[in-house]
Amino acid sequence: MRQVKSMKDTIWKRHSLAVSTEYTQANFTWVLSLVLTVIFLWNSISFKTGDVHPVVFGLFCVWAVTTVFQVCITRKMKKDLLQTGVIQPGTRHLGYVQLVGLLAGNIFAGAFAFNLVNAKKSVEYTFAVYTLLTQLAVLAISSVNLFKPYVSDTFLPSMGTLLLIGLFYLVVLILIVLHVHEYEAPRWMTWVALLLLATAVSGNLFALLLGWSLLMKTRSSDHSRMLKWNVTWEKITRNSTAMLGMFFILLMLAISITSRFTFDYALAVENNYSAILQPPSAAYPFGTDNFGRDVFSRIVFGARISLLVGLAATIVPGVIGGFLGAIAGYYSNHVDNWIMRLLDILYSIPGILLAIAIIAAFGANTVNLIIALSVGAIPTYARTMRANVLMVSNYDFVDSAKALGESDFAILFKQVVPNSLAPMIVKSTLTIGGAVIATSSLSYLGLGVEPHIPEWGNILKVGSSYLETNSYLAIFPGLAIILLVLSFNFLGDGLRDALDPKLD
Amino acid sequence: MGKKLLSLTLLLVLVLAGCVQTKSEVESEGKGTDTKGGPEEKVKIEVLGMGSGEEDLNIVRDQLIKNGFDVKLNIQPDYGTFKAQQEAGNYDLALSSWTTVTGNPDYAVRALFKSDGANSLVDDEKVDELIDQASTETAEDYTNTYKQLEQRLVAEKAYIAPLYNSFKAQGVNKKVLNPDTVRLAKSRAIAWETIDFNDAAKRTADPLVTQQAIGDLTSLDPIKGNDGSINTLNTNMYVRLVNLTDDDKVVPDGSLSYNYAMAEGNSDYYFLLRNDINFAAVSDGKAVDTGERVGAEDVVFSLNRAKDKDSVPDHRTYSLHEHIKNAEIVTDLSELEKATVSGGDETVQAALENGLDTKLSALVDDKTKADNSQGSYQVVKVTTTEPFPQVLNYLAHQSAGIVSEKQVKSINTYDVATFDVDKDIPYGDQRTVTEGAGYNNQLYASGPYILVKKNDYQADFVKNPAYRAGSEFEPKISAVTVRFIEDSDSALSALRNGEIHLFNGVPETKYDLVEKDDNLLLQKSDSNAVTYLQFNTAGRTVSDSENLRKAILFSINQDEFLNYYHGNKKKAYSTLSPLVDTGNELIADQNQVNEFLEAYRKE
Repeated sequence: MRQVKSMKDTIWKRHSLAVSTEYTQANFTWVLSLVLTVIFLWNSISFKTGDVHPVVFGLFCVWAVTTVFQVCITRKMKKDLLQTGVIQPGTRHLGYVQLVGLLAGNIFAGAFAFNLVNAKKSVEYTFAVYTLLTQLAVLAISSVNLFKPYVSDTFLPSMGTLLLIGLFYLVVLILIVLHVHEYEAPRWMTWVALLLLATAVSGNLFALLLGWSLLMKTRSSDHSRMLKWNVTWEKITRNSTAMLGMFFILLMLAISITSRFTFDYALAVENNYSAILQPPSAAYPFGTDNFGRDVFSRIVFGARISLLVGLAATIVPGVIGGFLGAIAGYYSNHVDNWIMRLLDILYSIPGILLAIAIIAAFGANTVNLIIALSVGAIPTYARTMRANVLMVSNYDFVDSAKALGESDFAILFKQVVPNSLAPMIVKSTLTIGGAVIATSSLSYLGLGVEPHIPEWGNILKVGSSYLETNSYLAIFPGLAIILLVLSFNFLGDGLRDALDPKLD
Repeated sequence: MGKKLLSLTLLLVLVLAGCVQTKSEVESEGKGTDTKGGPEEKVKIEVLGMGSGEEDLNIVRDQLIKNGFDVKLNIQPDYGTFKAQQEAGNYDLALSSWTTVTGNPDYAVRALFKSDGANSLVDDEKVDELIDQASTETAEDYTNTYKQLEQRLVAEKAYIAPLYNSFKAQGVNKKVLNPDTVRLAKSRAIAWETIDFNDAAKRTADPLVTQQAIGDLTSLDPIKGNDGSINTLNTNMYVRLVNLTDDDKVVPDGSLSYNYAMAEGNSDYYFLLRNDINFAAVSDGKAVDTGERVGAEDVVFSLNRAKDKDSVPDHRTYSLHEHIKNAEIVTDLSELEKATVSGGDETVQAALENGLDTKLSALVDDKTKADNSQGSYQVVKVTTTEPFPQVLNYLAHQSAGIVSEKQVKSINTYDVATFDVDKDIPYGDQRTVTEGAGYNNQLYASGPYILVKKNDYQADFVKNPAYRAGSEFEPKISAVTVRFIEDSDSALSALRNGEIHLFNGVPETKYDLVEKDDNLLLQKSDSNAVTYLQFNTAGRTVSDSENLRKAILFSINQDEFLNYYHGNKKKAYSTLSPLVDTGNELIADQNQVNEFLEAYRKE
């Protein structure tokens, strides 16, 4: 009997190890950390001369320490879980030490540490952590400009403002730990929430999510709505890759908005013949290109176009295709046939060829780029929407709405469409990466925006002809494209897991 | 705690503010008081160019924007679309380039700037006058005339804004080819016949693989094309009366003549022809000796059709030869005895006989009867419309290549006036040598090589078996393959991985890659290629306003171009710069830009 109990106990403990999201995240963190540590080591030593690059080597050392420490924490967590089934408070306190890793820019360790130190996490806590992390990252990236010969006129006031907002986020984080619970928050938090919403103008959409979430909890008593909100977001926040993706996307968004004030556009577009093809340095973190333009500034400003075109080229066909698909799915066979067969014709033309044809006919600029990429994507969205509408319109609540005498149009757009949106959202996030790549591809082919305008495809194009001599010119924009597309895909996966009812 | 943090932050910001310079501080330090004036509306300039000139366009754009213009770039993917945009007039400035392949200054300006020139957009009496005047002068005298012409074109009227003069750079695979046998000439296209492998055993086994950018060949009839698609090919397929050396001297080496002479008066030119070259044709994919000699009749036929605008449809080179009045066979030996050479006492005959083993004893008008070893020769006399010493450079150009009178007449049976491009197939049409159903190779080559066939990727040449066989000018390598690789970076890769042996046109920014490669040798020399901005001369604001054109002209800073190209370019003032040292220089001047812009605004 005793034996059976201990066996059950062991199984339960093993199970707790397997289901612990914190343990999964710990493993995820040390692996990523290790990979970057190795990359730093690789780059700190020049293989030709044997010289050691002091700054990169220093970075390597700090990252190596945080990685080793992370491995220690992970092993301790495993031990805790196997022995007692829960992570001990002592282990959790190690997280405070690991927070120091943030100073070296180890955002993975930082995010993990924040997650570890708090045993009972509300959704707001996670939001607040990421809000703060995003703000810190924005500050860190912008402050690189201090090494430049000069900064833009608006640099100091905006950095001051960003710093103050960052402090405010820190205060909010502390307040949330102290006062916010799973389904309730004190009434006075409304003001904090409103302030958070206001700061989201800087592009830090985590603040928007946090503010909205807090507002719901302070104002609403609708328990089921909050439950749904909490469950959905808990599913997403449990998913480390999805959160990382979302973090990177929102960071890019925040950077592309704040760069308007903290970066000097002239450094990204004006030629500087005295600084041609400089290797990465403090003043030019990613080096300079063949015209002496700062690649770092170019990539930062390029995020704006990539995101704008990527988002617009997803939203536009999403709305048009969604509308057509909804009509086709809801109304008679006749309408359905007409719309869908016409869209099938459009579908039969390869998207990128259609885009090239449109650009060639109407000229290359941002608006035409969006149109060109949108047109080809309409049919796929229409198909997704139509399938959902066909399914949802058979539900009972649609029948009851019909029985109540609602008009077809009202039923379609008030009842059916809102309940068919989840797959559309998932599809959009998954295809937005494709749109980003298409934008860059067209620019790479010389069909996108003008060549001097900082756009990731343009930057990569310049880099591609210097692959051998100045490889950093291609590596950094390439990485930026990869990371953004990967982030959208990770987030899309996370959203699908969270929104798909079948996976419950 | 919050208060402490806040005050700490404020302190930090203050400290930072102390040691960081803002943009406006830096700018006002550098320039003193900025007098850019009020917020006047910027002048919008549309710059047209090709994708291959993207770097130059970017530099021009940057310079114009820094001088207060608003710039719109119109970048076209290839020459065809560029030309279409140019003809439609959709530009203010067009990025253009010109290479003087004949190596004489007249060619550098005649077609480009004379009001009746084939590529001219300029209509200016004084320019016409100066070009004509310089063409009759010898090298000592024309420098000053060309200097005036340049000043008229650039400083006075601003018809063009010069950018730079390029170098020529050629990468050679020295592991495969003997680099001493590979020539790099300033003007003329590369001669294939001298090129040899390191390993002589490979001459018949392997082809020489070289590259050119354009695969769509204008025409293999020498007079019907003058562009990058055929210049090298036709140069190697047709022999000429004279050739240019690597530094642009006119010589008979490697040509159809033993010697040439310019008679007193600078209007009569005599050429003593050799009898050891036969036309080659292609039969079953191989070159065969047709047994038909390249003789004076063919020379006369070729030159007369070269100067005659109506000899073929789409005649693209008659303006180069418009100074030829007549070409004829000389049969009277006493004419050569009487005439003396220009600037000397020597008779033309003596000049022509110079270095020959067997002296002239008879002149024949039938090429089959010429037998040089017995003293019977053929002599051709070219007369110019006016004294024009530079005609020799034009005779060295590929468009003066000698074609077979018999073969060309037998193919060009159509009526020129009613020529139908869909029905009539003229001599040298690329359709006849393109693989496929339309293949019907009727070329007769007088030069060292003949084209067998081509497709979209390459053209295959084989050596002419009857081209000076046994002499040092006999082609060394039996077959030549020309790969069509448009992108210079791809061509460079092809050179480095051994796919091609020779790459003419290594980009300036990639010299170090070739130099560092153990298998490769970089040959560099001056070239006659000049890149400039052509102003639109009809229907645009820049066409009407000289002030606006000058404002743009003085915005151009050639030093920045030199910097961008790591010093691998030279300054230029016009297309004449590489040929004539006129001493003119364009100096960027922002004050002048502002003055001219102000003047323009008052117009």
